[in-house]
Amino acid sequence: MLSIKNLKAKIGDKEILKGINLEVKAGEIHAIMGPNGAGKSTLSAVLAGRPDYEITEGTVTLDGKNLLEMSPEDRAREGVFLAFQYPVEIPGVSTTNFLKTAVNEKRKYLGLEPMEATDFLKMMREKMEQVEMDKSLTSRSLNEGFSGGEKKRNEVFQMAMLQPKLSILDETDSGLDIDALRLVSNGVNKLRSKDNAFVVITHYQRLLDYIVPDFVHVLYKGRIVKSGDKELAKELEAKGYDWIKQEVEAAN
Amino acid sequence: MSLLENIKQDFNQYKEQAEHDAFFETRKHAFDAFEKLGFPTIKNEEWKYTNLKPLSDILFHNTCVKSINTEALLSGSVLNTITANRLVFVNGSFNESLSNIIEKDKSIIITNIASARKKHQVIFEKHFGKYAKTETEGLNALNTALMSDGAFIHVPSNKIVEHPIVIMNVIDASEMNVLCQPRNLIIIEKQASAKVIESYISNGNNASFTNVVNEIFVDEHAQLHHYKLQRQTGESYQNNYTQLYQEANTTINQVTLTLDGTMVRNNLHFYMNGENCNSLLYGLYITSQKNHVDNHTRVDHAKPNCFSNELYKGIMKDKSTAVFNGKIMVHLDAQKTNAYQRNQNILLSDEASINTKPQLEIFADDVKCTHGATIGQLNDEQLFYLRSRGIPEHEARTMLLNAFADEIAEMIKIPELVALLEDEISNKL
Repeated sequence: MLSIKNLKAKIGDKEILKGINLEVKAGEIHAIMGPNGAGKSTLSAVLAGRPDYEITEGTVTLDGKNLLEMSPEDRAREGVFLAFQYPVEIPGVSTTNFLKTAVNEKRKYLGLEPMEATDFLKMMREKMEQVEMDKSLTSRSLNEGFSGGEKKRNEVFQMAMLQPKLSILDETDSGLDIDALRLVSNGVNKLRSKDNAFVVITHYQRLLDYIVPDFVHVLYKGRIVKSGDKELAKELEAKGYDWIKQEVEAAN
Repeated sequence: MSLLENIKQDFNQYKEQAEHDAFFETRKHAFDAFEKLGFPTIKNEEWKYTNLKPLSDILFHNTCVKSINTEALLSGSVLNTITANRLVFVNGSFNESLSNIIEKDKSIIITNIASARKKHQVIFEKHFGKYAKTETEGLNALNTALMSDGAFIHVPSNKIVEHPIVIMNVIDASEMNVLCQPRNLIIIEKQASAKVIESYISNGNNASFTNVVNEIFVDEHAQLHHYKLQRQTGESYQNNYTQLYQEANTTINQVTLTLDGTMVRNNLHFYMNGENCNSLLYGLYITSQKNHVDNHTRVDHAKPNCFSNELYKGIMKDKSTAVFNGKIMVHLDAQKTNAYQRNQNILLSDEASINTKPQLEIFADDVKCTHGATIGQLNDEQLFYLRSRGIPEHEARTMLLNAFADEIAEMIKIPELVALLEDEISNKL
């Protein structure tokens, strides 16, 4: 589904991604871990099309289509979804109106008619239940005055509404207490299917207790330096990142 | 011929008919004041950023030009879809056939100034010229000297005007340059209530200078919603002076929407002459090309226990410029005043500019007042967030600008006007 080859990206003069290779197939969950400053959030931003970064080399394709040539909105409509680490508050834009626009823009892109208002509201209700989203949140402005946990739940709710092929979760666990973490993870697990895939970016192993990955990759200094299964995450939790750093330095 | 010579010529026409015109003394008095004061120049602190000089070389015609397109123009206006009382003025002259008063209660007077001067002389003389200063404001004096016509609204005590009153000014500059001096007088007596929309549209490519004076008196326990909608096109200049005078326990909700116009200068002045007044001032200006909008507001807290809230928002693109100058004056006696003032601007281009000056002058010692101004751009993080959900950039920008304007739109109690505003925002991008 997602194929990243030798991806290099910089911001200003600073090269942050230095040749990433990653293959993600439908139905898989990949965790990307790494110390602070390794380039984890940059990778998610580059995949979603944040304009601040310059791609200097490499390719990214989603089901064979070149993502890097697409605007952020086209990537979303092709099925990429980024769950933000820090979802922004947008006062004055209602959550319902926002989602209706987003859902219908995607439908338009796929050559479908806009959804009937009643069907849309029905879908909202179903998805809210599915991801245990509080109904009152959708009547408010987008993320305005939401707690950290509510914002993250809203991300998962949007994911449920937009039904992406590839979801990238950028440090979704940051700032969450254990209850919120469980709610968010449950939501994600309910959305898993054989047709979609997840890239879960996290610093800590604790999220991976709830969202169990098929593969774990360690990102360090802009490269994936180690890959393994979920046991690798546990090893990192137990031993920290220093041994990885030493291995890399020794190899150089 | 210069604008000044134009004006003298126009005044001389009134002079010739002086013996038939009971109003001539008022005109003459005002004209003398105008001759002394002249047009404000940029040397005047209050006019530092708004230069009227481009006007001085335009040859105007005060004579009422009959417009052929008025009906078509009106039918295309969203205000025509509202169930409302309508007073239509074309280049300052009352057009009775296009006007329509639907209010059933005939004690409520909705008419034009020229007829009110004769038919409702007592009320007219009690209020006319009592609020808008002519001795110090040259353009007010000019308006009084040359005024053509305008709306006269009198809502007697305890009456509620059921439908909004639309004062529709059509400036038709399709044949020649137009100079006009609309003059409106609105009197809301005790415990009465009304909604008034003062609107300006235009037609044609010639120049126009519309110099408006509004005098509004709101007596005790009365309420007024006043909306100003400015969307003149072509080479249009407007100076709009509005004096609101409110007695105790009144609420005035004033919203100024400036959506088009080459140069618009608004002078909005609230005077609270009693306790427990509420004055709400909201404004939204959307500017483009090389257009210029200047909002000067002043709120006089003359008595204790009053509340005022002011919020003006601007969206500016291209090479347009805007000015906000808000002054809250808290008089010595006005203890327990609550006064708030904000001005927020979004610049959509590098070449647009805003001069903003929120001001407080406080002479009482037990008050709560805040003021502030912000100038910024569309938030990139918000834009990216919306786009990352599949919303195209243009749509995302429109959503954010509508969200920015939302605080103003919320204050408009006429849904058709809110819809017009939203359309205008998406069209402007």
